[in-house]
Amino acid sequence: MNVAEFRSNLRAWLDENDLTPPPGDHSLDAHHAQHSRVLRALYDAGWMRWGWPESAGGLGGPMILRAIVGEEVVGRGLDEPGPYSMLEVLTPTMIDYASPELAAEMVPRLLSGSETWCQGFSEPGSGSDLASLTTRAEQRGDSWVVNGQKVWTSFAQYATRCVLLTRTGGPDTPNHAAITAFFVDIDTPGVTVRPLRTMHGVDEFCEVYFDDVVVPADRMLGNPGDGWQLAMDLLPYERSTCFWQRIAYLYSRFDALVGEVRQLGQAADSHLGDAYLALHTLRCRSRATQHRLADGQKLGPDTSIDKVLLASAEQQLYDTARDLMPGVIELDDTAWRTEFLYSRAATIYGGTAEVQRNIIARRLLDLGKE
Amino acid sequence: MDPESLELLEDALRKTMLSTSGAELDAALAELGWADMLSDMSELAIPLVFRLLGETGSHASVLNDVVLLTAVREAGLTPALPYAGGGWVVWDYADASENSTLGGLPLRRVDEGGHLRLPDARRAVGWWLVGASRAMLALARQHALDRVQFGRPIAGFQAVRHRLAETLVAIEGAEATLSLPGDDNPDLTALLAKAAAGKAALTAAKHCQQVLGGIGFTAEHDLHHHVERVLVLDGLLGSSKELTQKAGAGLRARGSVPRLVDL
Ligand SMILES: Cc1cc2nc3c(=O)[nH]c(=O)nc-3n(C[C@H](O)[C@H](O)[C@H](O)COP(=O)(O)OP(=O)(O)OC[C@H]3O[C@@H](n4cnc5c(N)ncnc54)[C@H](O)[C@@H]3O)c2cc1C
Repeated sequence: MNVAEFRSNLRAWLDENDLTPPPGDHSLDAHHAQHSRVLRALYDAGWMRWGWPESAGGLGGPMILRAIVGEEVVGRGLDEPGPYSMLEVLTPTMIDYASPELAAEMVPRLLSGSETWCQGFSEPGSGSDLASLTTRAEQRGDSWVVNGQKVWTSFAQYATRCVLLTRTGGPDTPNHAAITAFFVDIDTPGVTVRPLRTMHGVDEFCEVYFDDVVVPADRMLGNPGDGWQLAMDLLPYERSTCFWQRIAYLYSRFDALVGEVRQLGQAADSHLGDAYLALHTLRCRSRATQHRLADGQKLGPDTSIDKVLLASAEQQLYDTARDLMPGVIELDDTAWRTEFLYSRAATIYGGTAEVQRNIIARRLLDLGKE
Repeated sequence: MDPESLELLEDALRKTMLSTSGAELDAALAELGWADMLSDMSELAIPLVFRLLGETGSHASVLNDVVLLTAVREAGLTPALPYAGGGWVVWDYADASENSTLGGLPLRRVDEGGHLRLPDARRAVGWWLVGASRAMLALARQHALDRVQFGRPIAGFQAVRHRLAETLVAIEGAEATLSLPGDDNPDLTALLAKAAAGKAALTAAKHCQQVLGGIGFTAEHDLHHHVERVLVLDGLLGSSKELTQKAGAGLRARGSVPRLVDL
């Protein structure tokens, strides 16, 4: 598969098949409906299936094709980066850890937009210190029974399934061998989803409660104790293919900003230049990462560098917007406000800025323990 | 060139640069085949030679050759190179005693210069800055592991760790911009890469100096060579600040943001 040809075919197809979101409705419900619509169309036309293995309903080909599809879909504003990124976070996990039958059955549902899934990792007592999580799963015959609470679970209110981390080991099992992952149906009795309000008004995340929730054993992802490794294996995907579409989104917003502030003249130059340098640096780094992944290299802690660059470039872009369009974010109800506020979370989700620096210090600079 | 020969070449270059500098290094590099490297494999030779200049802290006038290569002028000339603030400098070994440039680079101010295209030269100085940044990071990292305060190595303190992590992020980011194939727009690609490298080097200088404490402020420790070198190199062919501003002006004129390269 020639990558350049793939890209130009995709672009031609998107030019012919207008999937622009209907104007006017910026609610989360509207985002969700648009997400499903776009995925359905792209799946039916095959685009959404490239770069995924045939065993899970894909059409094969290199992973870099996924990044290219993401870039076009999100860069053109057809889908929001948040919902779209869930594909890249959760699908590789299913392919690597679910039984082949389960992956073959479920993955096409996610990629075609007929289902949404969520990631139930964080808990009220366990954020950065994920390994301390306390949601328990206990074996009872052929099933496991889950009790506990998750929080900040994005899109759980739309989700049909949840990739859930639980504790299965006893007090003597070391944390990293005590965690087990399950693929849980959200409509199982005992699951309660409660949306939380966010500061930017797009209420994407929820609390999810588990009260004697019975999960069949064949919904375990991997083996008992594999949950920590699953969480670690997911991160490099979250910070590679997944980033490329987010970067495309930031560039599209930067285009818009440049358009808005052109009349400012030279006074805008260093602001714009600084934001450009940060985005360009991020894009170059991420491009190298995509190519390393494409060459079959295993990504690891080095992707923490990509995450630091992304979070800082994103916040810098919106800080620049606020500096160059004084009053707009505070006084006018526009998309800039929502996006500015959302960018404040970039140094929190997916591992905080501090946690990334801890990883870089420990794993890349080999500075030993704190 | 196969990886093995490249490694041998790198070793030879490093060894040479560690033992000589200035005009002598120019002669030694000529002996090692610099002219052929530049004409036959500049894509490899420029990053390699300039990164090593940075890592070893030595210097040579090879930048002139890179400038002349792009300008398609005769080798051996001494072109006036733009310097921050709208000035010009030339490489001049002649009056070493009158040289007032910080950190020992034989640069002398001149009154005027012509307009040169500088994509390769900017990339070259970018690699030089990255090499010097890596040298500073290596010094600071080792010091953090060796220096004991409050009963433990200072590498155990999160404030120290985060400064070094921040330095690595900046260097890796700059290297990525330098490694981007610039086919679409070589001038803008190189301008951004030089800006990223200058910025990364100033970040590295600040953090590494802080981590080294008092010893990093002495003329006995190696750090100051690199700090001074990157201050000078940041200004050479346009400072990070100036280039960034120029890139911003370009965006305004164009009304959109060049992506520069696809996946
Ligand atoms: C918009 C958004 C969406 C999210 N979506 C999901 C989702 O879908 N699924 C999911 O499972 N989670 C999700 N999260 C949760 C996210 O992963 C956590 O918020 C994150 O891991 C941080 O945990 P915390 O909020 O508990 O903060 P804490 O871990 O309590 O951190 C608070 C502060 O302390 C600092 N800190 C903590 N430990 C250290 C340390 N060792 N060294 C230095 N500083 C430290 C942190 O950097 C931070 O600044 C989402 C979060 C946000 C904001």
